[in-house]
Order: sequence, then structure tokens, then C-alpha cells
Amino acid sequence: MAPNDFLALLPLLILSIAAVLVMMLIVANQSHRVIQMASLFLFLTSFLSLFLIPVTLPYAIAPLLLIDSFGVYMMALIVFSALVVNIISYVYFEGKEEGPKEYYVLLFLCTLGACILAVSQHFVSLFLGLEILTIGLYALIAYLRSRQRAIEAGIKYLILAAFSSAFLLFGMALIYVQTGSMSFSLIAHSLALETDLPALFLLGIGMMMVGIGFKLAIVPFHMWAADVYQGAPLPVTAFIATASKGGVLAVTFRFLTSIDGLRFHVLSASLVVLAMVSILLGNILALQQKNLKRLLAYSSIAHFGYLLVAFVPNSPLSLPAMSFYLSAYLISTLAAFGIMAVRSDGTEEAEELASYTSLFWQSPLQASILGLAMLSLAGIPLTVGFTGKFYLLAAAIQNNYWALALVLVLGSILGIYYYLRVINSLLKGGTTTGALPKTAFPYFLVLSLVMLSLLALFILGLGVFPESLIGYLKDLQMGGTTSVY
Amino acid sequence: MTTASIDNVLLLAGLLFTIGVAGVMMRKNIFFMLLSVEIMLNAAGLAFIAAGSHWGQPDGQVMFIFILAMAAAEVSIGLSLILQIYHLHKSLDIDNLKEMNG
Repeated sequence: MAPNDFLALLPLLILSIAAVLVMMLIVANQSHRVIQMASLFLFLTSFLSLFLIPVTLPYAIAPLLLIDSFGVYMMALIVFSALVVNIISYVYFEGKEEGPKEYYVLLFLCTLGACILAVSQHFVSLFLGLEILTIGLYALIAYLRSRQRAIEAGIKYLILAAFSSAFLLFGMALIYVQTGSMSFSLIAHSLALETDLPALFLLGIGMMMVGIGFKLAIVPFHMWAADVYQGAPLPVTAFIATASKGGVLAVTFRFLTSIDGLRFHVLSASLVVLAMVSILLGNILALQQKNLKRLLAYSSIAHFGYLLVAFVPNSPLSLPAMSFYLSAYLISTLAAFGIMAVRSDGTEEAEELASYTSLFWQSPLQASILGLAMLSLAGIPLTVGFTGKFYLLAAAIQNNYWALALVLVLGSILGIYYYLRVINSLLKGGTTTGALPKTAFPYFLVLSLVMLSLLALFILGLGVFPESLIGYLKDLQMGGTTSVY
Repeated sequence: MTTASIDNVLLLAGLLFTIGVAGVMMRKNIFFMLLSVEIMLNAAGLAFIAAGSHWGQPDGQVMFIFILAMAAAEVSIGLSLILQIYHLHKSLDIDNLKEMNG
């Protein structure tokens, strides 16, 4: 490797060194507080180093990785989500029965895996990134191991994730048989002259779609989502919903775009169908949920349907629209989960909708942040979610995907019902049945609330003035230097 | 010396994969479900090796080693979870695991 390779990989290197450093801190028997502050600092360093990558982009580390501005933006989103998850973890895990220290090691490793996904351009790095991410997640989901629900969620996720990994691998093997290469650009090269997909390739990419569909929890591969969301500890649920899905979406987008797969009618048609069922079924299943975690699980199924709407039309707007909507989704989801984590106590999670009744009169700040997050997820004007949906629609209509646009609007209308139900119960008068506000960890509680207020400001700020971010996203480049292998 | 043609090896891999899928779908015991997933992963590994030898590249075998490593890591976590489940439920039947309505 050339010295420049190390410079380009700096954010990833910091994340992997951070895992080792935190392990050393655990050996040195440091307190939870020290470990939390250290990992906050390390996440921040890694996040800042993304903006200081001192090599010209795109920079290929042949044959596995390609660091381009799209990849860097996705890594920034992932590390930022992990940073927020890290902050809300202290308040959540302090006072739990399980020592929370090893949790931070696993969090670093999962973030590393998701970041590798965002910049991979080869099946080997795709597989490695995905497995670093998921194997870490198995342990994180079942982290509170004396709780039946956590164990149940852990084993369900393990069986289904391994099952889908096997599909993904078999699909990759079939594509390798057909094309003789595992790098995205060489696969694209061998496909360039085909007008129809070869049968073996079609089977392969179909199996890969099953695998990726499971990881993104799009219908009909969504069965695990609600149970895993409910059983996992709240910060871990936030991580699954944001960083982990963001990484998988980034690599899917990169793969399909670099092989130009959407020009084949079979593929684009099946993705259109997947997007439509995800949007409709996700929203319909969310309607009756009384548990906020399950509600957000079904809503995330619908949101990933919306995100598919951005990249199926394959228009010039696809990439900025998808990146913008993903950012909007991540910010709003993190704010919602953050408030839930802050309101949970040592034994029980604040996951029932009933425990948020009249929160606004008890704690206006927390209620406003949660309410804003819900409005943004529903796509109400002046929030970032609305602007995001607007760009999705623009991307779909630009290439005349009217049916998709129609389903997107229909899904959003359905969605408004259950998001407003949450806000309705926040504003209801009367006495609260929820947990009393915590005062045990004042510094970290304040830090978490400051972070969550910042997210709420982002939701409003990017909703009212989206131009600067849109301008930045329009300049994002994917691909570039082709690797020679 | 006769060599197996790629089609036959892929057919075998596909067969193994189907056995694995059927096992995950039909078995109720978590232990056997994990075992079936392993069969699926090994079927994918076999397909990679066949593809690698078809193209005369080492990539297929490299991928197989990665698959082995990943399967080992996954089984170690899976078995520890299974131990914990047995500890809590005194049974390994997947149907007993439905505290959450899913």
C-alpha cells in the first residue's frame, strides 16, 4: 500500500484503532464515564477526519475500496449516527444490570463495518463490511442477556441475517461464474454489451436482492424488523435503523449504479414492485401499533420503500434525492429514538405510546423534539422530511415513474395518521402515566438533550433552508477512477 | 484425468443450498436451524470454489476462506445465544420464543 492509501483510509483506521483503544481502557478498569468520553472523542476524531482526507477524491484503493465524495458523505452520515447513538447510550446503560463497557467496542466495530460498505466496490469488501457489521450487531442486540426479549430478538436476527447472508453469497458466486470477476467495474464491463441479462446473472442478482432486502427490511423480507426493534436495547435499535441500514443502502446503490443494472427492465420493474409493497404494507402495519418501537420499525420499512423510489428512476436527481432523504430520515429517527432512550429507566424502556401521554405539559423540550421528529417523518412542510419527499417525487417524475410517485403520496397520507397519533398523545391533557424524569446522571442527560436539540434544529433548519445541503449533494460524485485488477 | 464440469458442481451447490433452505424453514429446533444455515453457507462456498477454478483465479478460494471465518464467528455467537435460551426456557423450540407478538 502506498502512503497515500493510509491517508485516504484515515477515518476507517481511526475507527478500528478506537475499538482496540477502548478495549485497553476496559482492561485498565476505567469507569463507564471515562470510556464513554473516550469513545465520544474517538467518534468525533473519525468524523472530523472525514472532512480532512488529504488526497484528491475519488481515490481508489484497488481492487477493494473506492473513496469518492458519495462514499465520504455516506460515511459521514454513518459516523454521525453512531456518534449520536454513543451519546444517548450513557444515560440508557448506566444503572442497567449488564456492564456496559464492551458495548462501546462493538459499536466501533459495527460502525467500521457500515463505513466499509459505503466505500466498497468489490464483492469481497462488500461481504467483509457486511459481516463486520452484522456479527457485531448479533452481540449488541442480545447485549442485555438476562432479558428474554433481548435474547429472542438476538437469535431471530442471527438466524435470519445468516440466512440472508447465504443468499447474498450464493448470488455473488453465480455472478462470479457468469462474469469472471468480483469487482463492480469489471462486472459492468462484461455486462456492457448485453441487452438482456444472462439467465445465471439474473438468478444471481435475484438472490443478492433477497439478501439485501433482508438487511434493509423491505417487504416481503421484513418479518424480523418489528421483533428485533422491540427486543434490542434502544440505542442499538437506533443504530440498526440508521447506520446499519444506511451502509447497506449505500452499497446497493453503488452496485446497481456502477453495473448500470436499472437499464434492464426485469430489475427496475421488480424494484418498483418492492418499493410499492414496502411503502403500502409498512404504513398499513404501522397504523395500529401501540408500541413506539414497533411503530418506528414499520415506519422504517415504509421509509426504505420511499428511498427505493429515489433510485429506481435512475435520473440525474436520483443520487442527490436519495442522499438528502437518507439524511432527513437519519436525523429524524435518531431524534425520536434519542428521546425514547432519555426517558427510559433502569428496568423498563419507554416504548409504549401510553407512557408519552401529556408529555408536553411535563417536559416541553423533550416533547417538542419527539413531536418535530414525528412531523419530519410524516413529511409535514417546514421540516426536513417534507423537502426530502419533495425531491423524491421530483426524481420519480423526471423519468415518468408516475405510479411510483402516486404510491409515494398515498403512503405519506397513510403515514400522517399514525405520526399525528403520537403527537396527539403528547399534547393530551391530564396526568402522566410515564416514568418520572431522570436526575441521576445530570451531565450526560444535559449532553444528550443538547445533542437532540441540535438534531431538532437540523430538522427545522434543513426544512426551511435546504438549498445549501442540496447544492452540496448535487456535486457528489460516484465512481470515477476505474480500478485495474 | 477427468474433471467435473462447472455445471455439475453448481448443480450440487444448488442442491445443498436447497437442503439448507428447507432445513431452516421446516426445523423447529434452533440448533438444527443454525446447522442448516451452515449448510447454505458452505453451498455458497462450494459455488465460489467452482467459479474460481472455472476462471483459473484464486479469488474463489479466497472468498471461501472468508466465508469459513465468518461462519465460525457466527456459530460462536449463535451457540452462546442458544445456551442462554436453554438457560431461560429449558427448551430449544423456536415456537417457545414468541414473547413479542411477531
